[in-house]
Amino acid sequence: MNYKNILISILLGTTVATGIFLAGKVNNSTEALSALIIPKPIELPNFSLLDQANEPVTADTFRGQWDLVFFGFTNCPDICPTTLQTLTTVKHELKKAKSKTLPRIVLVSIDPQRDTPTILGKYVGHFGKNNLAVTGKIDEIIKLTSALGIYFEKTTVDDENYSVNHSAAVLLINPDAELSALFSAPHLLANYVNDLPVIMGDR
Amino acid sequence: MCSTLNPLPLFTLFVMCSFLYSCGNYDEPPLVATNIAIIEPITGKSVSAGYITLINNTHASIELTHVDSPDFESIEIHESTVDNGIAKMRQINSLFIMAGSALNLERGGKHLMLMRHTGSLGTISLNFYSGELLLLSLQTSFTAGTH
Repeated sequence: MNYKNILISILLGTTVATGIFLAGKVNNSTEALSALIIPKPIELPNFSLLDQANEPVTADTFRGQWDLVFFGFTNCPDICPTTLQTLTTVKHELKKAKSKTLPRIVLVSIDPQRDTPTILGKYVGHFGKNNLAVTGKIDEIIKLTSALGIYFEKTTVDDENYSVNHSAAVLLINPDAELSALFSAPHLLANYVNDLPVIMGDR
Repeated sequence: MCSTLNPLPLFTLFVMCSFLYSCGNYDEPPLVATNIAIIEPITGKSVSAGYITLINNTHASIELTHVDSPDFESIEIHESTVDNGIAKMRQINSLFIMAGSALNLERGGKHLMLMRHTGSLGTISLNFYSGELLLLSLQTSFTAGTH
């Protein structure tokens, strides 16, 4: 074997090894690649809101399971349903992959003027049975959003026809009711499917 | 494509006449509408979104000025953006489909905002600056949801 063949063999071997390494990194990573992990998880504040059954929702409601929390509103025709659909698909994919932990999907309304518990309940029901809808008094919503760094602002056209600008992030709340990670938009299925098992300790 | 929008229930719209725009002397239709999907209005909600791809096969830009349908009280052209992590939506007065280009009305971007569905689903009219219109005759089918 001459030097040229040896060099080609080394290059080929290196390429194949790199490919295998990268493939493993992408498909079965043990690191969160996209989520922003909060180094010191942030405890949920005291707040008092309502779920779709008019039952109280407090920080304690978030204890005992992982939650993917999105802040949106039901009159949002594009980004909110698209995000909730992505999260629904994430759960399906995790289930298919036999993940031990399946997070609950939570929609917190930042438009309580129009989003009553009943309306919000019907809305989240379109995306799955066990989703949690949260609404209530605006002051109580602000307690939650301000503690978690969530922004929202009504863009006024008139009292009935308006939109709401809002943070597009999805927050991951751990079973101790703490904000432990954040997914920024765009919300790509692969990011969640890779990162969630790592963060939730399934991989 | 509509199939990628599962599991959200959809009215899947098949364009029966993909082109009714005045044709002139072109080998191919000057304007083609494809990939049309309208999210099923969720129970109790008055708004929904519509997505479509418009292909301009001519050598001049085409301006879409408004959209209407007897099946919705009103339809507006909107654009969703995420700017520094903040999701925003704004109304757009008109859209240009540039010469020889395709314009995608898609999730998270420009889209149709359909308000107050009347219960049936038959036609949507795309109205252009030239005064012409593209009438989309729609056939409905229902894609099962997750519940």
